[in-house]
Amino acid sequence: MSEFFHQYFDFHIMGAHFSEVLEGFLKNLLLFAVVVVLALIWGLILALVRQLPGRKLIPLRGLTIAYIDVLRAIPLLIIILLISGGIPYLNFLPKDIRIPHWFGQPDPFWYGVLALTLVYGAYMAEVYRAGIEAAQGGQMEAARSLGMSHSQAMRHVIVPQAITKIPAPMLNEMISLLKDTTLVSVVALGESVLVGREVLAETFNSSAVLLAGLMFLVITLPAARLVDKMIKRNQGKITRGAHIEVA
Amino acid sequence: MAEAMVKLEGVHKRFGQLEVLKGVDLHVQKGEVVCILGPSGSGKSTLLRCVNLLEPPESGEIFVEGQDICKGPGSGTGEQSWNLDFVRQRVGMVFQQFNLFPHKTVLENVTLAPRQVLGKSRAEAEEKAKALLDRVGLSDKFDQYPERLSGGQQQRVAIARALAMEPHVMLFDEVTSALDPELVKEVLDTMRELASEGMTMLVVTHEMGFAKEVGDQVVFMDGGVIVEQGKPADVLDNPQQERTKKFLGLVLGTS
Repeated sequence: MSEFFHQYFDFHIMGAHFSEVLEGFLKNLLLFAVVVVLALIWGLILALVRQLPGRKLIPLRGLTIAYIDVLRAIPLLIIILLISGGIPYLNFLPKDIRIPHWFGQPDPFWYGVLALTLVYGAYMAEVYRAGIEAAQGGQMEAARSLGMSHSQAMRHVIVPQAITKIPAPMLNEMISLLKDTTLVSVVALGESVLVGREVLAETFNSSAVLLAGLMFLVITLPAARLVDKMIKRNQGKITRGAHIEVA
Repeated sequence: MAEAMVKLEGVHKRFGQLEVLKGVDLHVQKGEVVCILGPSGSGKSTLLRCVNLLEPPESGEIFVEGQDICKGPGSGTGEQSWNLDFVRQRVGMVFQQFNLFPHKTVLENVTLAPRQVLGKSRAEAEEKAKALLDRVGLSDKFDQYPERLSGGQQQRVAIARALAMEPHVMLFDEVTSALDPELVKEVLDTMRELASEGMTMLVVTHEMGFAKEVGDQVVFMDGGVIVEQGKPADVLDNPQQERTKKFLGLVLGTS
C-alpha cells in the first residue's frame, strides 16, 4: 500500500515540481482561453451557414455538414499531428504561417490552437444548432411574416433565444476542450502533462502527472457541478412556464 | 367592380405526395372579411399561408392589390425575392400559437419589425406601438414579457405586432383555437373592431358566431377545394352542399 502511495502521492516530488507543473497548467489555460474564443466564433459561423435557406446554397450547406461530421469523427490527436507535422513543410505558405511565433508563443502552441479550434468549432456548431432548432419553427415564421429577412430573424429572434438554451451543453464542451489541451503535449508544447511526463521519465514516479490531473480537477469538477445545476434550473423554468400557462 | 384586394386563381399546393390545395379561386374585396371554415386537413391554413408566401404555391396565381405575387423578378427561388418584400409589407399574419418573441418585452415585440424592416426610429416605433397596444387594451403591459400574459393578452399583442407594419390585409389562422374559452371573446372583440375599421381580413376560424356576425363572405373548404361560398347567412343557415351540411351539423351539434 505504501508503495502505491509513494508511486502516486509522493509529496516530496509534488512539492519539488509544483511550480513547473503549475506553469505548464497555466499554458493549458492560456491555450484554452484562446481556443474557446475562436471556437465559439467559428462554431457559430458554421451553425449559421448550415441554417442558410434557399436551394442555391445546398452545396455550401452540404460542405458545412461534411466538415462538422468529419472533424468530429476523426481522433483529435490525428488532427493535431496532421497540422503540426504538415504545415511546417508546406513551402508555398509564408514562413510566418508555417512556423508561427506570435505573441511570444512557440509554434506548437499555434498548431494546437488551430487543431483545437477546427475540431471544437465543429462540436460547438452542433450545440448552437440544437439551440437554433429549439428556437425555430413558429418564431422564424412570425419574424418572416413581419417582413424580416432570414438574417434579421436569425440575429434578432432566433440566435438570442438559442443562446439562452445552450449554456449547459456549451460548458460541457468547454470542459472537454480544457482537458483536450493536454493532447498538444505530443508536439512538445510544455504544458502540464509534458512537464509531468518529464518528471516521470526522470524519477519513474507518477506524482507529477497526478499533480497535473489534480490541477484540472480544481477547475473541471466545479464546472461539472455547475452544468448540473444549470440543467436542473432549466428544467425548473420549463415547469414554471407550464404552470403560468395553466394559471 | 373594383380591383380585388386579394385574388387567387387556380392555386395548387402539395407537400410531397399530398396535394393540399387542388385549385382554389377566391376574390376578396377591399375592406371585406372572409371567414374560411372547414375540417382539419381541408387546406384552409395552407391557403392562408400561401397568401403571404410562407408556403409558395406550386401553380396558379395570387394577386395582392392587383400585383401577381407568384411572378416577378426573383420568383420561384423562394427567397429574397422582390415579391416577398411586396407581400410581407402588405399582408400581416396572426398565428394560432401567438408566436410572440419570448425574449422581448411586449413593446419590443411590436417595435422590432418596424425598426428593422421599415427603418423607423425607436421613438417613432414606440409611439406607434403604444397607440396600437392601447387600442387592443394592453396599455398597462408595455414592459411585461409574454410569458407573464394570458393567452388572450398574448394574442392581442400578436395582433398589435402585425398591425405595426401597417398591413393592408390581415390573415388570422385559427387565432382563438389555443385559447381557454373565457379568453376567446377578448380576441374576437379586437378582430371585430378591426373589421369595423375597414381592414381586409381572411379569417380561418371555427367560431361560427363570429363568421356569421362579422363575415361578409363565408368560404367552406374540404379536401383542398372550396366546396361552397357566399353570404354567411346563406352558407351557414342554408347550405346547399352535402359536405357543408355535414360539417356544420357536426360543429353546431344539430345533427
